[in-house]
Amino acid sequence: MVLRRDDWLDVARKVDWTPRYVEERELFPEEISGRPWLTQDAWRGWNEAYRTTYREYVANQREKDAAVLGVRAALSKPRLFDDLDPGWVQLVKFHNGAVALAEYAGAVAELRMARFGRDSAWRTMATLGALDEIRHTQIPLLIGHDLLAYDGNFDWTHKAFHTSEWVILAARHLFDDMFLAADAIDLAIQLNFVFETGFTNLQFMAMAAMADRAHHHLFEKTVASIQTDEARHAQIGHPVLRTLLENGSRERAQYLIDKMWWRCWRLFLALSGTAMEYLAPVSARTRSFKEFMTEWVTEQFMKNLAEFDLEKPWFWDLFAEELDYAHHSFQLGLYTYRTTLWFDVAMPDRAEREWLNQKYPRWEETYGALWDQLERRWEAGGEANTLSYGLPALCNLCQLPALFIRPGRNTACTLELDGRRYLFCSEPCRWIFEQEKSRFADHNSVVDRIVAGEAPGKLTDLHKWMGLEAPVETGRDLRRGLDPWRLDPVPTA
Amino acid sequence: MMRVYLFGFASDDFVGRVIVTPDERTVAQLAGQLVAWGLAPERDGSVTVRNEAGDILDPVATIAQAGLGNGDIFKVERR
Repeated sequence: MVLRRDDWLDVARKVDWTPRYVEERELFPEEISGRPWLTQDAWRGWNEAYRTTYREYVANQREKDAAVLGVRAALSKPRLFDDLDPGWVQLVKFHNGAVALAEYAGAVAELRMARFGRDSAWRTMATLGALDEIRHTQIPLLIGHDLLAYDGNFDWTHKAFHTSEWVILAARHLFDDMFLAADAIDLAIQLNFVFETGFTNLQFMAMAAMADRAHHHLFEKTVASIQTDEARHAQIGHPVLRTLLENGSRERAQYLIDKMWWRCWRLFLALSGTAMEYLAPVSARTRSFKEFMTEWVTEQFMKNLAEFDLEKPWFWDLFAEELDYAHHSFQLGLYTYRTTLWFDVAMPDRAEREWLNQKYPRWEETYGALWDQLERRWEAGGEANTLSYGLPALCNLCQLPALFIRPGRNTACTLELDGRRYLFCSEPCRWIFEQEKSRFADHNSVVDRIVAGEAPGKLTDLHKWMGLEAPVETGRDLRRGLDPWRLDPVPTA
Repeated sequence: MMRVYLFGFASDDFVGRVIVTPDERTVAQLAGQLVAWGLAPERDGSVTVRNEAGDILDPVATIAQAGLGNGDIFKVERR
């Protein structure tokens, strides 16, 4: 007689044995398994909805890979770029550089839980999660490699995370905090519960919807396929959070959620907000970034908080205010510091400005004059006249330029600690820093390093330091290209 | 004379900017230096300079006299 799945599954998944040669605390040290340290009895009820077996996993993943590779084969390499909007191509380059190797770091995180997670069902799910994350690295690397023949900067799909480019440093700072330097409990809540349950729908499903309208079917298939994996292994977070709440750690859980919500928001407004509304062609935009955030991220997050009777983060009003402005301010930063990026960025054209003003009724009033000024400066003095040459003030927590919320509404603040003054873009970034001073205090931002003489202050040398070979790799205006001066040797004194 | 680095925010600009300057320069000169880095340096009009706490700084005072030191924020309101 063949056993039915439910008759044998728990025997395979729930194999927590009683250690005889070492103590349970030695097998699962608090430093890496996480706080609060609880005996296995407290974790015995750990469960999640998918309950995937390895056999099912292999079959499903094989089908998913075949679907992605089928689209790749059908399009064939010479047609990979056919009919793609130039802005969309830059969006893919931006996405690939920022995401591909972050996924590989995610595999390390899942493997930490696969060893130090406190219940065997958790460890099983995390093992599958690690395989997922390796897949999420390999597919963009494959597609990025295909695209190299058309645009050499697609090598940033692999290269980006090995450089000191400032956007990547900000992303690495977040991911180090979220999972590479986190114990199994903290990373389950920060990575699985907040980041994956809360935010990845935005990066993968919203992008898939836009890719469909931008006729980039390979990208659509890839990111949608990745999101089905994310949705599964994101389920690790819920039972970990539930166990914490049942064992007197409500305050700790609330802190981890608040902290990671804010930090993820910072990264996503910089990465997804700008890409969706300044690189995706208008015809591909199904909704605004704010609408996606509200419907796909915020509402889901509220349901998750309600499920666990947790509070909204204390900075919620500031977050809601920033939804209308922050990524638009950030785009001005990307544009005027574009030579420090590995992708091209655009000044919004007339049709885009109308779209932006329709979605954000105060956009023209807030940002119109600044873009007009940049247009005039280009006409009067060419590309060189539209670049920022001074150093931007970088936040000592999120590592992003302090440009929030909008012109005339500045939220920057400082903190004095052990004789050093730290700058923050906002109160939430300062609050997070203050909660874990020893974790963050020794880190120097790019600007700190320049001021201290540890990184070059001259822009051309800074490009090299960031891994950018000028002018071939450095970002330019998407529509206007490169001024001749960028191709000339830089005069020296 | 000591060189200090400060973080300046102009009300009509979109990003905070790093200013490295001798601390014997005046607050008015400091504001001028920040505005010069922005997108509309040519625009006329009066300016008010404040520290992080919101206190108005005397434009003829030196940076040191105004109490600004390494890593401090100043804000320039342009009208």
